[in-house]
Amino acid sequence: MKTRKFLAVFMALILVMAVFAGCAGKVTEDESEGGSKDAPKKFALFMTHMSNAFTIELSDAVKAQAGELGIELTVNDAAQDVAKQISQIETAVNQGVDGIIIEPVSVDGIMPGVKMAKEAGVTVVIVNQQISDPSAADAYVGVSNADGGEMEMTKAAEDIGGAGNVAFLYGPMGSDAQLGRLEGYQRVLSKNPDIKVAFESTAEWDTAKALSLVENWLQANKDLKAIVAQNDGMALGALKAIEDAKLQDSIKVYGLDATPDALQAVKDGRLAATVSQSTTAQGTEAMKACYAIASGETVDSEILVDFTLITTDNVDEFLK
Amino acid sequence: MEYILEMNDICKSFSGVKVLDNVSLRIKAGEVHALMGENGAGKSTLMKILMGIYKADSGSISINGEPVTVSGPKDAIAKGISMIHQELNPVLDMEVSENIFIGRELKTSGPIKLVDRASMRKEAEALFQSMDIGINPRTITRYLSVAEMQLVEIVKAISLNSRIVIMDEPTSAITEKEVQVLFQQIKKLKEQGVAIIYISHKMDEIFKISDSITVLRDGTLAGTGRSTDLDPDKLITMMVGREIKEVYPKEETVIKDVVLEVKNLNSGKRVRDVSFRLRSGEVLGIAGLVGSGRSELAETIFGIRPSTSGSILIHGKEVSIRHPKEAIARKMAMITEDRKQTGLNLKTTVEQNISLVSLGKLSKKGIIDKKKEAEAAENYMKSLKIKTFSRKTPVVSLSGGNQQKVVLAKWLLSEPEIIIFDEPTRGIDVGAKRDIYLLIGELAKQGKAVIVISSEMPEVMGISDRILVMCEGSVAGELKREAFTQEAIMNYASARGGKRA
Amino acid sequence: MSERLGIERTRWKDNVREFGILIAFVAIVAVLMIISPDAFAQPKNLIGIVKQASINGILACGMMFVILSDGIDLSVGSTVALAGVMAAHFAHPDTYPVLIPILIGILVGLGVGLLNGIGVAFGGIPPFIITLATMTAVRGVALIASGGSPVYDLSDTFNGIASGFIPGTIIPILAVYFLIIILVSGFILTKTVFGRRIYTIGGNEVAAKVSGINVKRMRLSVYAISGVLAGFAGVLLASRTISGSPTAGQGYELDAIAAVIIGGVSMSGGAGKWYGTLIGALLLAVLANGLDILNVSSNYQMVIKGAIIAIAVLVDIRGKSRNE
Repeated sequence: MKTRKFLAVFMALILVMAVFAGCAGKVTEDESEGGSKDAPKKFALFMTHMSNAFTIELSDAVKAQAGELGIELTVNDAAQDVAKQISQIETAVNQGVDGIIIEPVSVDGIMPGVKMAKEAGVTVVIVNQQISDPSAADAYVGVSNADGGEMEMTKAAEDIGGAGNVAFLYGPMGSDAQLGRLEGYQRVLSKNPDIKVAFESTAEWDTAKALSLVENWLQANKDLKAIVAQNDGMALGALKAIEDAKLQDSIKVYGLDATPDALQAVKDGRLAATVSQSTTAQGTEAMKACYAIASGETVDSEILVDFTLITTDNVDEFLK
Repeated sequence: MEYILEMNDICKSFSGVKVLDNVSLRIKAGEVHALMGENGAGKSTLMKILMGIYKADSGSISINGEPVTVSGPKDAIAKGISMIHQELNPVLDMEVSENIFIGRELKTSGPIKLVDRASMRKEAEALFQSMDIGINPRTITRYLSVAEMQLVEIVKAISLNSRIVIMDEPTSAITEKEVQVLFQQIKKLKEQGVAIIYISHKMDEIFKISDSITVLRDGTLAGTGRSTDLDPDKLITMMVGREIKEVYPKEETVIKDVVLEVKNLNSGKRVRDVSFRLRSGEVLGIAGLVGSGRSELAETIFGIRPSTSGSILIHGKEVSIRHPKEAIARKMAMITEDRKQTGLNLKTTVEQNISLVSLGKLSKKGIIDKKKEAEAAENYMKSLKIKTFSRKTPVVSLSGGNQQKVVLAKWLLSEPEIIIFDEPTRGIDVGAKRDIYLLIGELAKQGKAVIVISSEMPEVMGISDRILVMCEGSVAGELKREAFTQEAIMNYASARGGKRA
Repeated sequence: MSERLGIERTRWKDNVREFGILIAFVAIVAVLMIISPDAFAQPKNLIGIVKQASINGILACGMMFVILSDGIDLSVGSTVALAGVMAAHFAHPDTYPVLIPILIGILVGLGVGLLNGIGVAFGGIPPFIITLATMTAVRGVALIASGGSPVYDLSDTFNGIASGFIPGTIIPILAVYFLIIILVSGFILTKTVFGRRIYTIGGNEVAAKVSGINVKRMRLSVYAISGVLAGFAGVLLASRTISGSPTAGQGYELDAIAAVIIGGVSMSGGAGKWYGTLIGALLLAVLANGLDILNVSSNYQMVIKGAIIAIAVLVDIRGKSRNE
């Protein structure tokens, strides 16, 4: 009985520690004293999750900008759960924040949280993914997924000379990014009727899944010229499959996100290109816009940050 | 119109094997009619036909002289027949009143029909009062004792206006005192003209409660008559087809040195200050009522349940046994009470059950010697006459008696010196019982020290050299073979026997 | 007489249950070979399938031990990620000999397995709950340990662990690991006292204890085995994807459970054959491979996979109901 109790407590402690450790880098960053009496000083950031390079870069950028502005910023991690994100917003609003920045878990599901915050007089800026009713928020800072997809696909189409078989690796079917980036691909396809899509499937952003999937595709001898992946993780998986099959000279691989390992692969001449969503710029602009609106200034309701195509020519600028 | 229920010339076969052959059963209103027979004699098949679960191949059923066909349990209930099963299955987390009205809940009037708890409780209350039973209908069923649950089932049968109530081994899991309460209720039912079909193996009960008796043997009618015209010996002869003396063969053995000595053993409140000695060649019976701590004592000795104080000596040397593996290392074996729960791995074969305890002996460097394992299994299948298709047969498909023999084989293979049998013949038929009694005698003859725990008085008296009677966790008395009588045992068991021996 | 009849029926049914999955497997392979003779049916592809089945197959081996003991291990997917991340940290070029990251990964798995085992055996926590807890916590630790992004730039020797072939053949090295592990697992389960005891505690825990088996130590062992294999699978996955990703292995626990169940191991423990798990893992890989080659949408693939799991469990339940 005693050991059992002890163990239960022990397990619970480990869990709690893990949770705290997980939050360590993200909880209140700047408890700075800056800001005049009337100027807004309390802000909160709501992230969908904190488990990949993109979300970490984005939140770091917001935090850095908050530090520069000398304001207090709380960072919340919804762990991909929209209900959790809404309750986190409610908590922050009840504690009296001046402005919030939301990276929405769901573009529809988050609407109640956005409306609630607006009604309480809190400035709301949406970042990275536009919500289904943009008028409910004060501003949107982000990128157009379609533009990013178009940029990636345009480069691929140029490289293969506007003709041949290609394969697409998608994110989770039906997600905003998947649909948006696919729209960009289709814009390019409509201008290049000689490019055929031999395979298309989701690998759910996962490197290992993309690896197996592409291994299987390669068995079908469809004479692929390029594989265009909706993120870098899948692109690197595809690349591994192609290199294992010694086909790297005939099939080019394209990614999107500009993660550090993908940038390294571009530099090494393995990955043909990746596209930067200018994550840091999104974060910086979102924080700036939120602060400005909360201070009574007017800004554009949609601030689009440009994508950047990264190839061997310019990769050194991005490698840190 | 003399009989409330007549089942005439019922025949039933499964896959070409006749399990009921021209069996008839006639029951009068207001009588308790005992249905007896060994396991597999056809009692439950007959009752299942009555409840409409099986369809008879031929024969007829009449209620109050009217021929009827029963299409299923629901139809049986509508026709006034209900059955109280051996294994009760009420919904444990429902109130008593809800269980009584389960499936036919009273509804509120009005456009929206809701469950009318208040009325259900009130009606249940009235039923309990009319039967003079002190159970609160609001109690959650989980908190009732097995006997109380049985009473609830009886009340349920009455609320269904049953005229014929089947009770399948209703006293198998309840205490002596509770049996008395049950019998009082049965008498009340009789007064109301309800007929009761009472299935039981317990002789004393049968003669206490029944008005007439029908005995089945191998799917045929072995006999029927008024209880007053019969006696236990006649009944056993009817059931088994042989004389009672043959049922409990007891051979004289040479009783030698003390092998096991238990000194002031305690385990919480269930085992209190028990001391006894067991000699090689001796069969020590342990009697007592359900809940008197017999099984708990055995479990404590065998390391299944922790001892709180006291000591165990084997061959005069004190030993520490905190897990069955330590008991096994001391050459002990224990045939537990419930073979399905604690004796067998029903998911595997006869062979793998037999070898389980002795895998160490049958292996080299952790790798099982399959040839040795097969030999061992085949040997015991032969010597214990285990009826099975092969050693690879799943043990679950064996009959109760043969499953019990597999458990015995498992322990015998480990070559124990001290063997504890806890209810070794529960739920198995008379033929297999006899094989087990013979085996126990043989083991004693070989010089093993044997403990037999049993609730069946004739059994424990028939095979033991000495009997310890337990009451409320402690030894209430000890009897030598010459002094064995049912009264003496009962006196000690019910704490009427005065001081401890 | 009736007993004898009953037994023969049982054996016939057992055979269907045991070989049904093999027949289904052969049928699916045959159909795919006919539909796609010049892609699916190529020897290189067929052997490649074994490679693709390997990582899930290794996890399924560990899961088989756990499920046979009437447990479940939901933490293997997270363990794959943590082991991969930790191994990758020690696998950068010109740092440590390749044995170090392999050992680190296996030790990480062993640690998680022991935590699960202690919780189940000594804490009395239901396996589903404790492994759900470690699944969540270990994933968190993997994210912390990697800073949220994949650990890359690994040495060529490390990357070589899971790629390449046995010299002079077309047999992928990854498949060799899997086949060795499943054969060793099969040996343990069928030939050793230890294996027999796993079946026994899964079949009837109380009877096992009464028969002198140290049930707690057995439970600890099966979770440790599952953890070690998950740790090794994590190393292999990191090597195969040349990076240790904290988000790798999501849902792998479910694929491993699926392979075990399709292979006919009883979800309530105590019954099932090791080669069933082999076939279960291969079946899942064959389906994915064949359907990918035929360019069947992943949405339909999910439906087909689900249907096969349901059918396998149905066969399992029907097999069991005759015992009642």
